[in-house]
Amino acid sequence: MTFDDYQLDDDVFDEMFLSDGTPRDHSRALHELLCQLSPQELATIQERVTRSFSNEGITFTVYGDDEAEERIIPIDSVPRILSNAEWQTIEAGLTQRIKALNHFLEDVYGESRSKELYGEPAIVHDGVIPVDMVRGCPQYRVAMQGFSAPYGTWVAICGTDIVRTQDGFAVLEDNLRVPSGVSYMLANREAVKKSFRRLYRMSRVREIEDYGQVLQTTLRELAPHSQTDPTIVLLTPGVYNSAFYEHIFLAREIGAELVEGRDLLVNNGYVYMRTTAGLRRVDVVYRRVDDDFIDPLAFRPDSLLGVPGLLHAYKLGNVSLVNAPGTGVADDKSTYAYVPDMIRYYLHEEPILANVETYLCRRPEDLEYTLDNLQDLVVKRVGESGGYGMIIGPHATPEEREEYAQQVRADPAGFIAQPVLALSRAPCFIDGRFESRHVDLRPFVLHGRETRIVPGAFCRVALRRGSLVVNSSQGGGGKDIWVVEA
Amino acid sequence: MLSRSAQSLYWMGRYLERAQHQSRLLQLQTAALVDRPVQEIYFGWSRIYISSDRLPPGGFLELTDSDEFTLADSFTLADDLTFERSNPGSIWNCFAMARENARQTRNCISLEMWSHLNLVYLRLQGRDIQDIWSTSPETFYAGLTSDVDTFMGVAGATMYRDEGWHFLQLGRAVEKGQLLLAYLLAQLAAEARHDESTEEDWVSLLRTYHAVEVYDRNYSLDVQPNHVLDLLVSDPLLPYSLCQTLDTIGEQLDAIGRGPHAAISGSMRRLAGRLASVIHYEWPDVTDREDVLRKLAGFSRDLHDLITQTYFDYEVEIAVAT
Repeated sequence: MTFDDYQLDDDVFDEMFLSDGTPRDHSRALHELLCQLSPQELATIQERVTRSFSNEGITFTVYGDDEAEERIIPIDSVPRILSNAEWQTIEAGLTQRIKALNHFLEDVYGESRSKELYGEPAIVHDGVIPVDMVRGCPQYRVAMQGFSAPYGTWVAICGTDIVRTQDGFAVLEDNLRVPSGVSYMLANREAVKKSFRRLYRMSRVREIEDYGQVLQTTLRELAPHSQTDPTIVLLTPGVYNSAFYEHIFLAREIGAELVEGRDLLVNNGYVYMRTTAGLRRVDVVYRRVDDDFIDPLAFRPDSLLGVPGLLHAYKLGNVSLVNAPGTGVADDKSTYAYVPDMIRYYLHEEPILANVETYLCRRPEDLEYTLDNLQDLVVKRVGESGGYGMIIGPHATPEEREEYAQQVRADPAGFIAQPVLALSRAPCFIDGRFESRHVDLRPFVLHGRETRIVPGAFCRVALRRGSLVVNSSQGGGGKDIWVVEA
Repeated sequence: MLSRSAQSLYWMGRYLERAQHQSRLLQLQTAALVDRPVQEIYFGWSRIYISSDRLPPGGFLELTDSDEFTLADSFTLADDLTFERSNPGSIWNCFAMARENARQTRNCISLEMWSHLNLVYLRLQGRDIQDIWSTSPETFYAGLTSDVDTFMGVAGATMYRDEGWHFLQLGRAVEKGQLLLAYLLAQLAAEARHDESTEEDWVSLLRTYHAVEVYDRNYSLDVQPNHVLDLLVSDPLLPYSLCQTLDTIGEQLDAIGRGPHAAISGSMRRLAGRLASVIHYEWPDVTDREDVLRKLAGFSRDLHDLITQTYFDYEVEIAVAT
């Protein structure tokens, strides 16, 4: 196969090629192999990868009007390759970022000298972040006020979305609540490496298969009372959750019971699960249920997914909750804009990974800029995720932009704007030929008493030609990422 | 093990057993369409519907002499029992429910078990009655029964012998017992409804449980209803007999151990013992066999309830921390 018709543009970074069309050093071996394959051979590989997903039931659920449908995430079999040096930058940047975010959460919720003296977090008192960004944030949880997370770890598991432009890597979003996608990272690797056996071996790809073990170590580190053999459970909202496959997968990987709220109960301040031999004490809950639904006594009283009294048991120190409730205040789309300042404030370091330039419509000057330049910006609702509630200015009609502008004017604090990024592109095998598609990556950061990151990520691909939306609920697909030693 | 996981495995066993039983019945019934008399075919359909406690689409079956009508009816009935989504006992639903339970407990079963069951389910998605009827329906049904056998073989080879395994086997055995009892009672009820039954109706009953040759060997070539019942109920060596099934239930309960509440657990064990003792000690002497079968059917439903109360849905007293 050839790359003769492959699209390269000067203003878009291509993951495989330099701007003159020669392959980058670390992609040369892959490029050579792809050129030797026939379209039929690559189609067979693609089909095998897809079939392995369907046979093993690696699915996510999409909810339509009438019924839920199990779908597989379309996987492109051509891996995206990162050099080890590129990875080290990402790793250092993410490590720095999660430390700062945990400091921020401890500052926001925990007891401190600043709170005692001034009644507000130090970072607010020192004028780095306005107070309404914290207390006014819809994700701020009053119930967590005055609580200090064990070992200062509020966020133990984080999935950070990173994009690359001609200017380098930048963080698009921190997912600090219940990030998902890690099972696809592992399943993609499993399927893709079998299809490129020789290349995989020769490329000295860094392993990610020990993710389960690293996750287990992280969860064990957070067990209460320094227990050496804690009972860990993974709390799922249940089979109807779109990420249910991932919950099963992870429970298996870490050897934990996969529980639903109805399997747990709190008795005398301790958490127990209902087993066939009676109640058994639980030490660590890796919860994949959102804050609002985790405990009907503390948050939404109508929740059927949660465990009454769970938060109380957590605050007594009798069980660990991973991630802690209330972490959403740090990954809100508005708070995001302040993460570089948090890094400077708490760690006295310059951020290694840049942020995407962000206009907070709550600031009058930013609002004005946003409304004047809507045709060039991406505007997002702060409370939404998954590619919902956003508008990509250049792709919208004047009527759509006007309608959206009215919503922004009505509630400026509910919106942020960012420039339309020229996300990097990577070759994908589509309709029998190579086409370039926009990609991002979501590495997974684990932070117990120390930070660990397996060298890999879930690479999301905007499979529709020209599309910039990589979310799986919006027609996005996935790719394997290889971090190569060479 | 987590109660809900145990319950899912138990139900997975039940649904797979149900799917296999239904497939076996339809395999024999569709094979009969080739050359058996119309009366026998209607008797067969009647027996299946009575045993599953369901009314055929269009109401009670009426015997017709026309081969044309018999085949058309059979097409509709087979569709209802195989693919009908609104029939909770259809083969399609049994496999879907077994798979759903497997999906919820994938961390308790082997990857091989899940992959096999998922493949069976995915294959079934692409089929409909038209398509199986135009070729060989009995081959299709035979394929499904052997799919369940293969699944159990894969489970036997790959599943860790922990409590989950025992709940899976327990579910299968409880379902097997209930299905056999329902089918024997349906045979007697169909006989009453049709005013008679032929020797061939009883032979087909034996065939359902792979027992024709054993019967010939143990009794004679002359098929007597009482002997058929003896074989299917009390033979200790026949894999599908009630006696074997109850022995399996006893073994699985022993392996699982007591639940948290001694009193309920005790009732459950006593009931399982009582069922077995009826077969071992009372059965040979009873005169009204239908009545005993009905009593056993009631006991086996109670046993299911007690298993649920012992291991899955027990009561807990909660204290609030201060």
